[in-house]
Amino acid sequence: MHRAIRLIVAAAACLAMAAPAQALDGAQLFKKKTCWACHGKDAKTPVMPNYPKLAGQNAAYALAQMKDIKSGARNNGQTAAMKGVMHLVSEEEMQAIAEWIATLK
Amino acid sequence: MKTHVSAKALLTAAGLALSCSVWAWNEGGGEKDEAMHLTPNVENGMDVFEVCTACHQPEGWGTKDGTFPQLAGQHKSVLLKQLQDIRAKNRDNPTMYPFALPREIGGPQALADVVAYIEKLPMNPDNGKGPWPKGTPQYAKGEKLFKENCVKCHGEHGEGDAEKFYPRIQGQHYKYMLRQFEWIEAGKRRNANPDMMKQIKNFTPDDQKAVINYVSRIPVPKKDLAPSKDWRNPDFD
Repeated sequence: MHRAIRLIVAAAACLAMAAPAQALDGAQLFKKKTCWACHGKDAKTPVMPNYPKLAGQNAAYALAQMKDIKSGARNNGQTAAMKGVMHLVSEEEMQAIAEWIATLK
Repeated sequence: MKTHVSAKALLTAAGLALSCSVWAWNEGGGEKDEAMHLTPNVENGMDVFEVCTACHQPEGWGTKDGTFPQLAGQHKSVLLKQLQDIRAKNRDNPTMYPFALPREIGGPQALADVVAYIEKLPMNPDNGKGPWPKGTPQYAKGEKLFKENCVKCHGEHGEGDAEKFYPRIQGQHYKYMLRQFEWIEAGKRRNANPDMMKQIKNFTPDDQKAVINYVSRIPVPKKDLAPSKDWRNPDFD
């Protein structure tokens, strides 16, 4: 019995170690890529009233905006403040951030 | 009618002259002077600095890729001037602008506090460097350009001049400096010193890269550096 538990624990540890290589952590990226500086730690208290709240936004919409601001296809509004940091994020990372934002209330 | 027209023309000319005139590089007075003469509360400076850490990092080292400059070890006067210039829209920095506003940072006392805190932070021993190490022709070219063009204001070792608001450039990230240099030359960095603009106006893109490469490789005095690149600011544990 004890042996079985040990085996299960070992298997779980093994899985836990393998998992992070695949899934990007949107919450971590939101901090590391400096998004939170302007949009707020909770993604809904932006530093300026004309910056958007992101919490609960649809992932597909958020991703599209990030991509367009990065490429310059969208360059109106407050995008000048964001464009300068967008080289820090890849498309996979944007996807992870967008998905994380969508889970927030 | 004639007088009316010329008065109008005069007004237009005056308006044009005003809008085209280069903003005085470093006007005296105002909050900056006030902050310069206040006794800083470094403890409060640490609290004020927290909002800066999201981009400039808790160590004030910025990022090695040059997206954000190193602030640690910079002269208080320079930090104050840049903060003030961004806040007053004399230096266009849309990313930083909201954080330089009084409601984020505070008034003159808070400015005095935060710059005193930043100036004392130990510097990054592993700043972003240009591509050419000592011994390469590009390095030698940069060294020569630096000695001929930059030392008069920025000093023999790029230490700057606190009294004159000239920044310390030793230890700064290569890509950050290169970007600023290009912007100064192009007039995009509007609060650039006109003397510098004159000095560098004949620099080719190759000259720019060579001189900035050299600057990025000027050693920072050991006493000003953190013990290792893995040092973390204990104030923000």
